[in-house]
Amino acid sequence: MRTSRALLAALLAVSLLYLAAVLPGASRIEARQAPQPEIPLPNREGSFKFAVLGDFGTGDRVQYELGDQMAKVHERFPFELVITVGDNIYGGERPQDMKKKFEEPYKALLSKGIKFYASLGNHDDRGQARYALFNMDGKTYYTFKAPGASVRFFALETDYLTPAQTSWFEKELASAGEDWKIPYFHHPLYSSGGRHGSHSDLATVLEPLFLKGGVSVVFAGHDHFYERVKPQKGITHFVTGSGGKLRRGDISKTTGLTAVGFDSDLAFLVAEIDGDRLFFNAISRTGAIIDSGVIERRKQE
Amino acid sequence: MLGILARLSTSRLLPLATAALSALMTVVPAAPARSDDARQTPPPRVNPNAKAIAGFQEEINEYVELHRILEKTLTPVPRDATPEMIDKFQRDLGRLVQQARKNARAGDVFESDARPVLRKLLAGLFNGPDGKKLRMAVAEENPGESVKLVVNGRYPDTIPLSSMPPQVLQTLPQLPAELEYRFIESTLILLDVHAHIIVDYMTGAVPK
Repeated sequence: MRTSRALLAALLAVSLLYLAAVLPGASRIEARQAPQPEIPLPNREGSFKFAVLGDFGTGDRVQYELGDQMAKVHERFPFELVITVGDNIYGGERPQDMKKKFEEPYKALLSKGIKFYASLGNHDDRGQARYALFNMDGKTYYTFKAPGASVRFFALETDYLTPAQTSWFEKELASAGEDWKIPYFHHPLYSSGGRHGSHSDLATVLEPLFLKGGVSVVFAGHDHFYERVKPQKGITHFVTGSGGKLRRGDISKTTGLTAVGFDSDLAFLVAEIDGDRLFFNAISRTGAIIDSGVIERRKQE
Repeated sequence: MLGILARLSTSRLLPLATAALSALMTVVPAAPARSDDARQTPPPRVNPNAKAIAGFQEEINEYVELHRILEKTLTPVPRDATPEMIDKFQRDLGRLVQQARKNARAGDVFESDARPVLRKLLAGLFNGPDGKKLRMAVAEENPGESVKLVVNGRYPDTIPLSSMPPQVLQTLPQLPAELEYRFIESTLILLDVHAHIIVDYMTGAVPK
């Protein structure tokens, strides 16, 4: 009798957690400090799963610890690829740096064939575009279709957004037939970072294209914390810039932008696209679920 | 002007013509259509700004031509290279450029006629309605005095690049893929992105 009550309580807890994650309007979840045994995502077979990582290539111990956490999560939630939002490598980029700051921290994932699709930040040398493990095909901005899903990613180079790149992006967005069009890049258009914050110069150029192109969600980094920004003109902006660097306490409380913020430890994000819904979890270095929710796909204007 | 144009190939002419034309259109008032004898037509006026920009473009083209010649002497880096290949190529190309331009000086590419025109273009932006946000964007992670400005010097590996606002890149003459503009404090540099070398610089690019 006691066993069945405990089982019932456990089932109830898991159900509540799942409902909180998937119900519209319940996307804001307070940070929980204790590691979670399960990833509160549908984790459905056949859905498209990916991870987001930014500002990571330091070679420091904490970067390795987050890499280990990503590998642990992958065992339970088998994401197919990782997109990076820039500042992939800090400091020197000699061959030994690439090993220490990228190949070794993510060895477990790389050995399973998980591909990283990089975008470039202001700390990144343009030579990274030819680095095989960043899958950029020699280009500093590029697009690719997610395998087996109606999802297209656009890696932009916001550090050097030329008119040619803007024209290319507009054209690619317009011709993309996928349901989900997901741009990712380094500098956030919206951020509560005390050090950097929002980049209105970029928003002036990119936001109209996002709106016109039917974008629902974008990922950026640069500010060294995790933040989910309240939807701006219907688009959800994530700042995932604490993959290796952390600027503790940098999230300003006065911007009015923050839906959920986390600036006390490193974090990455995992997401799952199932039809018109994108489910996400942000996960800390210790495995705590710091944010969780669902985004409905915007219909194109 | 025509002499400069005649020395350029068609592919190099297009960006030059675009820049020159836009500069001409903004500065020179349109001449009324004339139907009288062509012999009485005064010689075409040459806009000094357009001429200066054309001269700058010519210097850019000359540099890039040299860059491409030197690059062809090296084993190409595939699009799925190892870090060793990328690093070796960049440093080898850097050495070749440094040797080929060992007498290069500041102002060789940002030549004297072009500098005031470029400064004026940038002043229009930085003193304009969006000037404040553009200054903030340029100042962010600007390496400042930590980078020693040396023509032909390697841009330091450990120093991040300043971000270039798209509005600035829309205003300045467009560059081929081998080169980028960047700011170091208020100085505009030309960076060879394949060789990681400072090709030239122009002080006072961001007005005070």
